[in-house]
Amino acid sequence: MSAQEPATAASSAAVHLDGISKRYGSVQACADVDLMLQRGRIHGILGENGAGKSTLMKILIGLVLPDAGSIDIDGERVLIRDPLDAARHGIGMVHQHFSLVEPLRVWENVALGEAGALRPAEVRERIVEISDRYGLDVDPDAVVGDLPVGMRQRVEIIKCLRRDPSILVFDEPTSVLTPAESEQLFDTLRHAVVSEGRAVALVSHKLDEIIAATDEVTIMRQGRVVDHVATDQVDASGLAAAMVGRSVSLRSERVALGLVDADVRGTEVPDTEPDLAPEVLRLDGVTVRDRDGRTVLDRLDLGVRAGEIVGVAGVEGNGQRQLADVLSSLTGVDEGRVVVDGDEIPTGKAGAMAAGGVGVIPEDRHDSGVVLEMTVAENLWLVDPGRVSRRNVLDHRTMRRTTEELIDEFEISCSGPDSPLFSLSGGNQQRVVLARELSHEPTVLVAAQPTRGLDVGAIEYMTDRLRRTAESGVGVLLISSELEEILDLAHRIVVISDGRIIGEMDRADADLARIGSLMGGHAA
Amino acid sequence: MSVDDGTTTGPPTTRPHDGVAAEDLVPEMGTDGTLTEEPHHAPPGTSMADRLRSVGEVVGLYAVCIAIALGLSALLVQATGGSPSEVLSALLDGSIRGPGRIGATIGVAVPLLLVAIGTIVSNRAGLVNIGQEGQLYIGAAFGAYFGTKLGWSGPGVIVLLLVASVIGGALWAGIAGVLRYRRGVPEVLTTLLLVTIAAQLAGYGLKNQWLLLAPAEGRANRQQISQQLPDDTRLPRVTWFGNEFPISAFIAILLALLVAAVLARTVWGLRIRMLGHNPRTAQRAGVAASRYGGGALLISGAFAGLAGGMMLAGGDFGNYTLVPGFPSQIGWTGLLVALVSRQRASAAIAIALVFAGLRTGSGFLAATGVERRITDVVQGLLVLALLIPPALLFLRERRRAMNSGGDRT
Repeated sequence: MSAQEPATAASSAAVHLDGISKRYGSVQACADVDLMLQRGRIHGILGENGAGKSTLMKILIGLVLPDAGSIDIDGERVLIRDPLDAARHGIGMVHQHFSLVEPLRVWENVALGEAGALRPAEVRERIVEISDRYGLDVDPDAVVGDLPVGMRQRVEIIKCLRRDPSILVFDEPTSVLTPAESEQLFDTLRHAVVSEGRAVALVSHKLDEIIAATDEVTIMRQGRVVDHVATDQVDASGLAAAMVGRSVSLRSERVALGLVDADVRGTEVPDTEPDLAPEVLRLDGVTVRDRDGRTVLDRLDLGVRAGEIVGVAGVEGNGQRQLADVLSSLTGVDEGRVVVDGDEIPTGKAGAMAAGGVGVIPEDRHDSGVVLEMTVAENLWLVDPGRVSRRNVLDHRTMRRTTEELIDEFEISCSGPDSPLFSLSGGNQQRVVLARELSHEPTVLVAAQPTRGLDVGAIEYMTDRLRRTAESGVGVLLISSELEEILDLAHRIVVISDGRIIGEMDRADADLARIGSLMGGHAA
Repeated sequence: MSVDDGTTTGPPTTRPHDGVAAEDLVPEMGTDGTLTEEPHHAPPGTSMADRLRSVGEVVGLYAVCIAIALGLSALLVQATGGSPSEVLSALLDGSIRGPGRIGATIGVAVPLLLVAIGTIVSNRAGLVNIGQEGQLYIGAAFGAYFGTKLGWSGPGVIVLLLVASVIGGALWAGIAGVLRYRRGVPEVLTTLLLVTIAAQLAGYGLKNQWLLLAPAEGRANRQQISQQLPDDTRLPRVTWFGNEFPISAFIAILLALLVAAVLARTVWGLRIRMLGHNPRTAQRAGVAASRYGGGALLISGAFAGLAGGMMLAGGDFGNYTLVPGFPSQIGWTGLLVALVSRQRASAAIAIALVFAGLRTGSGFLAATGVERRITDVVQGLLVLALLIPPALLFLRERRRAMNSGGDRT
């Protein structure tokens, strides 16, 4: 694919990043990166995890200082030392992770961080005005904690637009949205760009999104810009090849890149027919209330058969986390019961689920999957140290040998069994979790967002492992907000909304429109 | 001065600087095979020269901090009308140079070390027990009761006395444990407040003859002290090169090494460390916080109680008699020893000796005309000097991590 530079002079660019370099230790996060954002255009920045796109954006908004390079805004050389500098130059960013205070109202959240006297009426008025102008439909007096995730993101967008930035950066904005909400977001973006001459950068690793929403796209790989093209002159597979650096053929890889067709009906269905296999996991009327008494899981019923992958689809924040917590013995249930392989397992009791045969790949491995300060070996055996100890004394020889075997089998890249876990990359930490959970021969494996934050190769490995695990007779519960991942892996799909399972279908009957509407909370 | 366990499986490749003088003070992979400090070492893949430079930085940082602390101490002495060199000389005479003074220093180091290793156990489990002064007092009071009030004597009673003091200390910490795990009251508050109650309780015991107060004969009127331990109910003392100290010194060192090994090498130790580093991972893996955390708290109290019993039966404090103010700040100073040795029981042995030396040395300051309290200031400055470098390194490391981390897209 040949680079075809859009014919615009650097001087007319809203933002011109020139020769930006940033190095972290031995990792070159950005190497001599050039990027030009034009007014009235949406500029996609595409790359795998770790390609350097987030670093680049952090440099633009002043969170990270570059080692080399310069930034021009509207043809003038500027120095952006911190986010306040960036704000003065009219740069605003909508972050991937929300920074909203849940108990506060929308207008209070929007007013947070403003200097000077608080004028509630003014803030409310401004919110209504922005909301009307962009069709965001946000009520300034709603309590943020009561709002669905899609609406919260709109609040974030209003927070950003309130300062009237001329340059807008969106960092992976759709990871928490339903397909319909994403579409609406891009309509909004388009409106902001075309009618008001703002410059927008859209950071994403999803090809479909880039193709649908952007005018031009810069592709990054390993810290470098590998291509810069007008979006209408490329197709998805060309972009994918440029992003990964080789042609993309494997199915799971295509899924990782978001390349699943919207019409999924009738595509290949995983071969196993586990309908008659025994049920290995059963949740009956599981109800969990949080500390404030809010019901976060609401009479949830769910079953997984041996050898089956059940995908739990849903917009994030609808009870997925609590579901995984119950199955990790981190939360007790208020009502209902959990049965594993025929035995009821007490909930909330330390280690009970693990001992009962429930393996878990947690959503946030740093939260409940690993101990960063401990060694690889200790992390591999911390759930079941009995296997590498004699009379409660750790047998370091056995520990080392078994650890080395697992390091080989799961291709964990580290300097040895004694290296501390924090010295491993995220993908390799995830492999340590996977190795531990699978080596304990679970009856049920819960995988919560198992590929989040991983690069394409690691995603491929993970999905392959999950598939093989199911084939070996383990019941797999896949909790994911990436619909493509669920469509690729699951035999059966259930949709969770508001802590309840509101729909269930076989993979063969699944269609994106129906799942999408279920995810939005509309029972179909 | 460390147990080299946990690394028996081969030399860890990330250990760049064996043989550095201040090794025990340098944050690195712990000698017990776990990472005990926040990492400052260069990330894997950097060159040897880089690593040497970073080691040099660390050593230099410690040297600068200690020099500043000593310099400030000297200034303070000068300002209060003393001569810094005389003070230094007196401190050395009092702690090591004077005849028999090493023995005295060891005698003080024993309870410091015992308190410190108990503190390390609870710290490792992620608990902040700061009530050792009270646990020690209760332990000593329990010991005094069994040593003097039952009317028995003999070597068996020494064991009984020590067991009683262990139980007393554990009981006192156990109150905080129950409040922590039944009611959710932070142990940092309860252990601290229980120090005051412990002092009141022991004081009450020393006012009442049916508890601890010695019979009227053999003590001055209105003196509130316990009876002295009988001759054969005291810990034997050994004499080495003119230095006399109780055999509890050997017991304390053995216990320190034992604690280091248990934390590093047993399933229980693994679980305790897991709980301290990541309670949620621990819960998933079957470590019940109440059982393991509560256990760690009991053990830390037990060590403080044992320190009290050893002080009573060892002879270096109170002349085998429980007196008001018996703990003599050993609980607080032991806490500092644990703090400075930063979770390494083996390192605590050396640190306990240093702090004990400051204390025994200060006894010789009277001749110099300098207030002996000055050593408290010196001690405080030294603690800061030893704690500031790791804190700085930690902050730098975190800044780096924040700069480099978080590329989640």
